[in-house]
Amino acid sequence: MANVQLAKNLWSMKFKAPEIIEEYFGAGQFISILVCDTWEHPLRRPMSIADVKGDCISIIYKTVGAVTKSLAKMHPGDSINVLGPLGNTFTGWEDGRDSILVGGGVGLAPMLNLHKMVKTSTIIIGARTSEEHFLSHSPQEGIFLTTDDGSIGIRGTVIPTLESQVMSKQNPKIFACGPEPMLKAVQSFALENQIPTQLSVESYMACGIGICQGCAIKKTEKEGIMRQTYHEKYDLVCVNGPVFSAEEVTFD
Amino acid sequence: MTDLRIKIGDITFSNPVFTASGTFGYGTEVSDLTDVSKLGAIVTKSVTLFPREGNPPPRVVETPAGMINSIGLANVGVERYIREMIPLYDNIGTKVIMNIAGTTLEEYCDVLEKVEVISSNICGYEINISCPNVKKGGMQFGVDSSMTEALTAEMRKRTERLIIMKLSPNVTDITSIAKAAENGGADAVSAINTVVGMSIDSETGKSQIYTTYGGLSGPAIKPIGLATVHKVYQSVNIPVIGLGGITTGLDAVEYLLAGAVAVQVGTATFRHADAGEQIINELHQFGDSKSIEKISSLTGAVKTYTK
Ligand SMILES: Cc1cc2nc3c(=O)[nH]c(=O)nc-3n(C[C@H](O)[C@H](O)[C@H](O)COP(=O)(O)OP(=O)(O)OC[C@H]3O[C@@H](n4cnc5c(N)ncnc54)[C@H](O)[C@@H]3O)c2cc1C
Ligand SMILES: Cc1cc2nc3c(=O)[nH]c(=O)nc-3n(C[C@H](O)[C@H](O)[C@H](O)COP(=O)(O)O)c2cc1C
Repeated sequence: MANVQLAKNLWSMKFKAPEIIEEYFGAGQFISILVCDTWEHPLRRPMSIADVKGDCISIIYKTVGAVTKSLAKMHPGDSINVLGPLGNTFTGWEDGRDSILVGGGVGLAPMLNLHKMVKTSTIIIGARTSEEHFLSHSPQEGIFLTTDDGSIGIRGTVIPTLESQVMSKQNPKIFACGPEPMLKAVQSFALENQIPTQLSVESYMACGIGICQGCAIKKTEKEGIMRQTYHEKYDLVCVNGPVFSAEEVTFD
Repeated sequence: MTDLRIKIGDITFSNPVFTASGTFGYGTEVSDLTDVSKLGAIVTKSVTLFPREGNPPPRVVETPAGMINSIGLANVGVERYIREMIPLYDNIGTKVIMNIAGTTLEEYCDVLEKVEVISSNICGYEINISCPNVKKGGMQFGVDSSMTEALTAEMRKRTERLIIMKLSPNVTDITSIAKAAENGGADAVSAINTVVGMSIDSETGKSQIYTTYGGLSGPAIKPIGLATVHKVYQSVNIPVIGLGGITTGLDAVEYLLAGAVAVQVGTATFRHADAGEQIINELHQFGDSKSIEKISSLTGAVKTYTK
């Protein structure tokens, strides 16, 4: 229905998907897209749901490789095959005053989705330069942009801004989705400061519905795990996630 | 309308399209996306004696016209399989073939014995002697004909149900392994399991799969599967079940012509969970358009230039 460029390498696509909306139950869930039915790109591509309005769904995607680039070339009237909604949701965000959302790049979609649910929450969006941002830096409204080069918003990674926002809340909670280095940094900050945190993680996926066992993510090691177990050491991002608490998962 | 029924051992299947092990879970997970009862049979994920976590990620990567996986046989283990999955088969509406994997002969036997003593809807066992992704594993059996024969014979002693030995293409002479399975008393063989493959990201210089090598599947391996099925068909008298890269009814027809009595659909189900159902429809269309009375008449009917 619409396919527009938001910023450098960042696009938004909106399309009709009433059947998916019927089963949709919240921010964090994703869909899996097959752009064309030839075998040039065998696997579906997972994409978080960025917005649900009427009978339309939006995604926000970064053009990183062949499939996302071909997605950017699509026009109203073209069709794609979509499987979903898949995965779980963020939880416990209802009190916006305490909720801090952190996103960037490929992880922008679920955070903007959540931000629409809790307008009073604070959102921090990281990028390398101003070219990759499309919102405006407006701290009064709780929207903070950061850039590595300081070309817009606050210079640096999202972490210093996250720190100062955490300080200003009574019972801060963090919700984050983005590139792995960002998630790692948010996770270690959260664990050090014992702040309840949920991370939406990524993993290479084949089926998206829990049958291929492909999208494993390492769980934080627990004491007393027996040698021969199933899903004690690894979870599946597609059905157990993509949202995990910061204590649950380990990045390598 | 073409009669799609086929027979393996004493068992008649409603059609020759089965799911492939590891690509359809335990057979009950996707019932909201496809009508499982339409399928000729489902073949379950490999089940081992003890639960298995599987390999560290990354476990899957896309490759040209295919994918590489190195799941490492992640599965619930036979006890939980019996407790939680088998009861669900009572109302599944299709035939169930349980796939078994192990690292020693005893392990295969233990799994089979545990399932044999309970009553269930399982009509047969597919024995995975060809998984490329576990260090110590079935693969030792799959490359050695005397071990294949011994394992098949041990399974045969313990069950009246169908025994299907699943063959690996990663061997020098697959026909000798197929013959060994036949000599051991197998009702059928299935071929092929995945082909050893590797994928490298030139940008980062990294191997894309944790275990470096994994199993290639999808259309990329179809020609290998066809050749293998044709060779095996010519060397044994038991039925051959063909798989590797089947995504359409016409792919299935090619496998039947090469010598298969039935086919399995794997990677294609990751794109469309109802791929098997579609393939059955396409087989019907093909049969009608060519006025084929029985689909089983296609088996081995390929015309080759030389004998
Ligand atoms: C749960 C989840 C939600 C996601 N949500 C978004 C989102 O909202 N917006 C967004 O821009 N991106 C999102 N991604 C990432 C997105 O799926 C990849 O960027 C996309 O698949 C790249 O495809 P490509 O062909 O353009 O690139 P390629 O060149 O094929 O791949 C580039 C990189 O993308 C990743 N990738 C490729 N194929 C897959 C696959 N089948 N499954 C998972 N990752 C893959 C790999 O890391 C790979 O190295 C999400 C991923 C997951 C797992
Ligand atoms: C993700 C994945 C997991 C698999 N797991 C198993 C398994 O547990 N046991 C087995 O015998 N084969 C397993 N296979 C192999 C398939 O059953 C099949 O032999 C192979 O994929 C070729 O068929 P295809 O090209 O239609 O996928 C697996 C394949 C894939 C892609």
